[in-house]
Amino acid sequence: MVKKYPVRVNVNGDDYEALVDPRKTLLQFLREDLDLTGTKEGCDEGDCGACSVILNNRVVSSCLVLAVEVDNAVIETIEGVKTGEELHPVQQAFVDSGAIQCGFCTPGMVITTKAMLQEMPNPSTKEVKEYLAGNLCRCTGYVKILDAVENAKEKLKNG
Amino acid sequence: MDNYSVIGKRIKNRDAVTKVTGKAVFAADIKLKGMLYGKILRSKAAHARILSIDVSEARQLKGVKAVITCEDTPLIKYSIHPLMADKLAFEDKKVRYIGDEIAAVAAVDEATAIKALSLIKVDLEELEGLFDPVEAMKEGAPKIHDHLETNVSKHFKMDCGDIEQGFARSDFIIEKTFTTHAQSHSSIETHACVADCGLDNQVTMWVNTQAPHPLKHRISQVLAIEPEKIRVIPPYIGGGFGSKIDLDTTHIACVLLSKKTGRPVKIINTREEQFTATRMRHPSITELKFGFNHDGTIVAKQARAIIDNGAYNSHGPSVMGYHNVMFSSLYRVENISYEGSLVYTNKNYGGACRGYGDPQATFAQETMMDMIAEKLDMDPIELRLKNSNHPDEKTANAVEITSCGLTETLEAVKKASNWSEKKKTKKKYRGLGVASMIYTGGGSRGSGFNYSGATMKMDASGTIFLNTGATDIGQGSNTTLTMIAAEILGMEPEQIRLITSDTDTTLPCMGTFGSRVTFCAGNAVSQAALNLKEKIIARAADILGEPVVRLEIKARNVCVAQEPEKGIAFSQIGAVSYSQKQEVLTGAGYYDGPEIAKDFDPKSYYAYPGPAMSFATHLAEVEVDPESGRVELINFYAAHDSGKVINPLLAEGQIEGGAVMGFGWALTEELKFENGRILNPNFHDYKLFSIKDIPQITPILVETIDPNGPFGAKGLGECAMVSTAPAILNAICDAVGVRICDLPATSEKVFNHIKLK
Ligand code: FES
Ligand code: FES
Repeated sequence: MVKKYPVRVNVNGDDYEALVDPRKTLLQFLREDLDLTGTKEGCDEGDCGACSVILNNRVVSSCLVLAVEVDNAVIETIEGVKTGEELHPVQQAFVDSGAIQCGFCTPGMVITTKAMLQEMPNPSTKEVKEYLAGNLCRCTGYVKILDAVENAKEKLKNG
Repeated sequence: MDNYSVIGKRIKNRDAVTKVTGKAVFAADIKLKGMLYGKILRSKAAHARILSIDVSEARQLKGVKAVITCEDTPLIKYSIHPLMADKLAFEDKKVRYIGDEIAAVAAVDEATAIKALSLIKVDLEELEGLFDPVEAMKEGAPKIHDHLETNVSKHFKMDCGDIEQGFARSDFIIEKTFTTHAQSHSSIETHACVADCGLDNQVTMWVNTQAPHPLKHRISQVLAIEPEKIRVIPPYIGGGFGSKIDLDTTHIACVLLSKKTGRPVKIINTREEQFTATRMRHPSITELKFGFNHDGTIVAKQARAIIDNGAYNSHGPSVMGYHNVMFSSLYRVENISYEGSLVYTNKNYGGACRGYGDPQATFAQETMMDMIAEKLDMDPIELRLKNSNHPDEKTANAVEITSCGLTETLEAVKKASNWSEKKKTKKKYRGLGVASMIYTGGGSRGSGFNYSGATMKMDASGTIFLNTGATDIGQGSNTTLTMIAAEILGMEPEQIRLITSDTDTTLPCMGTFGSRVTFCAGNAVSQAALNLKEKIIARAADILGEPVVRLEIKARNVCVAQEPEKGIAFSQIGAVSYSQKQEVLTGAGYYDGPEIAKDFDPKSYYAYPGPAMSFATHLAEVEVDPESGRVELINFYAAHDSGKVINPLLAEGQIEGGAVMGFGWALTEELKFENGRILNPNFHDYKLFSIKDIPQITPILVETIDPNGPFGAKGLGECAMVSTAPAILNAICDAVGVRICDLPATSEKVFNHIKLK
């Protein structure tokens, strides 16, 4: 048996304690141990962004982080974005702009957009493109995703 | 102006909220009690005889619950064409490409399953590998499939008019060879399947398939299981682009492993498996010869094509048929000759991939059109207008064109891009390029079938249900199909309960491919809704004591026209039907068209039975850096005739997504092979366009009304990438004067061409 290590972590406001296989990625830990399957696996190699989560206020590819590394961390996944009855403005913007087709890249896109707008409330188009360059989408051609980001920017400014 | 309340509106995707909150369950998210994890052992050799497979050590590993090989299967071959079946779930005598399936394992966890694979001993005798279709066609080449005479899987010749006379009558002749490369579908979700055969030998599968009903049928055939024991349930699907149509060994392995262990089994492809062992776009070599006159009339055109099939058939035979039919039907040309060979090689094999042979044909033809324009010193748009298809015509290869907006798409991109002005004031290293296309707007009956079914009902509360076998893989059919039903039934689409894809609860549908869902499933839904509407009105007439002709439906009420206060709500109609009349109001619709012409040739697709044809013109504006060869896309215009557009928001999404997939194929995406091995099976080395790389994209919807489509609609999804690459390459030529005829136009290639100039 592989030796397991204790991990305490706060995910979407809830505290969890678990014994974790040191080879397990944060992505696997979220999906398998915590049943938070909203975070997606598109490559498991850090190349697609589908697994993006916010770890201590920074966006990371959760497939590149080991679960044992997140001891004492605070994590936000797609399941934590909508807090009340209403969608979060970023989510609403994605819905309104038609930025969602198959939806497989969507959790990663929404999480990354949310983190970006927390860091810089008014990014230029160039900055948006830089920030989201690691999130691949095969369906939309990104046009309506850019619309969604603009839309979200406005919503957050006015809200 | 049409007077619709739902059709033509920018209605949001009905699944968007589920998807944006992370609640949408995809196949990989499914976890059942006692579930095991499966893994597949794949060949590391490109071509080899299997001498022995020893699984004894793997079976003994702790945590391994089952190991299967060809011995555990009925050895029934499959492909999309029953007559050309050539693939076994697990090969028994030979492996034919790197990735070919040999065995599968189910274990308590993934790590154990991977460990078990390494304990399987496979003794192979390596054979000479064939990686080039031209070599594979040569006499005396080693055979890839022993039961066939040669490595040519399919060959045909089609002649219309008189090609030799046509060339003799032409003022000019140009000949040129064009090659295209392998593209990976690259849906962000990989193939995944969960099968549970624990209950009384019933098979239940949750699988990300574009075609659940045909999948059920194929599982039944290949595993000799009665169809009534099989249920296929597609969860949410993370894109497909053609890669998720086929029956796949992962499906068969899941079922067999679950049967063996009595526990549910899940298999998820890694990204590497997705690149190396699921389908790709067929590489092609197309030699063209065009004869044309001073005034731009194309008099005769000839194509000789070699399609690189890879190791197995999959969709290859009909992809070559489409390569011919789309080449031959675009433009009004009387004399056509096409000869094609589909050739086996020891590489990963091609399959259905957005455009289905058409992008390869269109790249060749539309580059040739620009060469002709150049020779005649004619405007490329004028040349295309001169030869454009028209509505209500039959092409030389006997394809019926019903509606046709090709001319309008050409005019639309010309205007939107400010073509004439920009051509006059051309800047150095900037260029404009244009390319048109034709594609089916509603699948075809080339295989004998093109069916879609739908049922509707009203329950006791007056709630309306739509059940359809059509599958939404991201393109938005759940939204458009409910819009069609809602328009007919005088309600909002969100008010309709929708059940799709599940083979137990929906009528069969061929699936999501061939740009057929809006047209075929749309027609089925429209018929089912009309059928139900008639019954609802009849019941209301009965209750109200009014004649049927005076009644209409508005906002879930049936009322007397002009006297809205005299009406009855759906809820009451439902209640009365159930409790007093003891009758459930239902409607059913079925589409399977068009009629197959007597002279249809299933080999060449002469007299191709497509119910409607869609058209488009793409226009690219690029800037080329002569120092590096880097091509920057500045502007992109895509005008599409997809008939009446049911939902412009979703239609634009298809056009934008298709264009960007086309950008990739044109410039950056290429599966690189070395002795049959794919060298770049990851998103790091296989470059999809990112959000950073996209230009301004302008989708333009040129509406026509197709006489046979639902509300006049035709298909769009695949059309969206067909003419993208030639538009870009024509623009590169306009910018720096180099004519690249082998895709992709990587920076290196463009640079080398500029240097050689
Ligand atoms: S799954 Fe982590 S980046 Fe692709
Ligand atoms: S919506 Fe399908 S990958 Fe982005």
